[in-house]
Amino acid sequence: MADSASSTVWGYRGLYVLIAVALLFLRLLPLGSESGSWPGPNLLCAMTFAWVLRRPDYVPPLLIAMVVLLEDMLTMRPPGLWAAVVVVAAEFLRARAALTREVSFVLEWLIVGIVMAASVLAYRLILSLVMLPQVSMAQTVIQLALTILSYPVVVAVSRLALGVRKPATGEVDAYGRRL
Amino acid sequence: MARDRTSPEEFTRPLRRILVGGLVFLLLALFFLWRIDSPRVERFRSALVDRVVPSFSWAMLPITKAAEMVEDFQSYTRIYEQNQELRRELQQMKAWREAALQLEQKNARLLDLNQVRLDPKLTHVTGVVLADSGSPFRQSVLLNVGARDGIRDGWATMDGIGLVGRISGVGQTTSRVILLTDSNSRIPVTVQPSGQKALLSGDNTSAPPLEFLEKQDLVRPGDRVISSGDGGVFPAGLLVGQVALGVDGRLRVRLAADYERLEFLRVLRSHESAVISEPGALIPPPVPPVAPEQQPEAEANPTPEGGAGG
Repeated sequence: MADSASSTVWGYRGLYVLIAVALLFLRLLPLGSESGSWPGPNLLCAMTFAWVLRRPDYVPPLLIAMVVLLEDMLTMRPPGLWAAVVVVAAEFLRARAALTREVSFVLEWLIVGIVMAASVLAYRLILSLVMLPQVSMAQTVIQLALTILSYPVVVAVSRLALGVRKPATGEVDAYGRRL
Repeated sequence: MARDRTSPEEFTRPLRRILVGGLVFLLLALFFLWRIDSPRVERFRSALVDRVVPSFSWAMLPITKAAEMVEDFQSYTRIYEQNQELRRELQQMKAWREAALQLEQKNARLLDLNQVRLDPKLTHVTGVVLADSGSPFRQSVLLNVGARDGIRDGWATMDGIGLVGRISGVGQTTSRVILLTDSNSRIPVTVQPSGQKALLSGDNTSAPPLEFLEKQDLVRPGDRVISSGDGGVFPAGLLVGQVALGVDGRLRVRLAADYERLEFLRVLRSHESAVISEPGALIPPPVPPVAPEQQPEAEANPTPEGGAGG
């Protein structure tokens, strides 16, 4: 019982890494990346936040940090900064996972949107503090909006296809603790 | 709220906070290290990319190819639009081609005005058209140069651009030019670019037809027609005109020379080519010039047999 539950958790952690690598892989494909086109949504960020609010134990901070750091490295972003921002934001949401179980999805969406906007803002603020060149504000806003809009889709896919849903009342984990 | 009271998480939470804080600190330290000592971290990044990205290549290649195939397939759906676009461009190209041809003619006129000699063998005598003795049956003009100026029968005449006709009848001071449109005119020509040889035979219309074409399929309207020099009548390479499809379906030649305004004509001095009369003597002694056998009254009455059809 305990072994199977533990292996489930590790399976989902592996799945998280797998999906992140797949998203990264799609980003790296040499297809249609002409300059000036719209930036796509940051799906990895949306997925991380959605999973943190549903099953915090599937996405431990170290895993998030490693995955996002890998993304930072491969997509030529300043290494570490976005990873740190995402880890902090995920910790913030993790502390409020119990809260979002009690509110409607729209409110959860609002909270996640605010957290995403704050993350992007903090990211840009730090970049400008250390005087680094950044992408234009318009593109950042477009990407942020697309990410927030994609959040319900990510949640739906996670829930319906991957089975990452909020624990039901009375559900217990491998050690018999209530979730 | 209540769940934390009973869970062991209560005791691990401070430790967890420290660990997460350390993690964030490490990430930020990496960032600042990169900011301060960029080349070193960039080297690490490129090493990482070197390790990771090629391991994707086995999957990247088929997906890229598949996407390219999809794109190619999408291009099939645009084939109609492409066709339309190409047609439009072709139309524009035709306009440009017409402009180029007109420029060519203009250039020939200007070269003529400057008396640029294109071929040193082709010297010419310029004469003024005295009379246009055209009738429905005879298409000819009279020039004010004749035997006195060394004109001989059979020489080619041009205006600034294209072939007009040949000398047929030389008087002392005048000569008669049978135009290409005359029904007695037969000129060997070459159609470019296919290189088909044909005979341009006048039929008293403004666009004489091409006859004895070997393969009509190779000749299209718009091809250039130049004199071929076969038979030694004319020098080769003189511009005659363009192929056009007549209303009767025959291939005709729209003449390059401006037949509406024949004022000054150039009579090209042709030099007799060596005549090979016997197998052994390839290089014969120079042939004495043949005296023009035309009667001098050609200038007086240029249309002796005019009414062929009438």
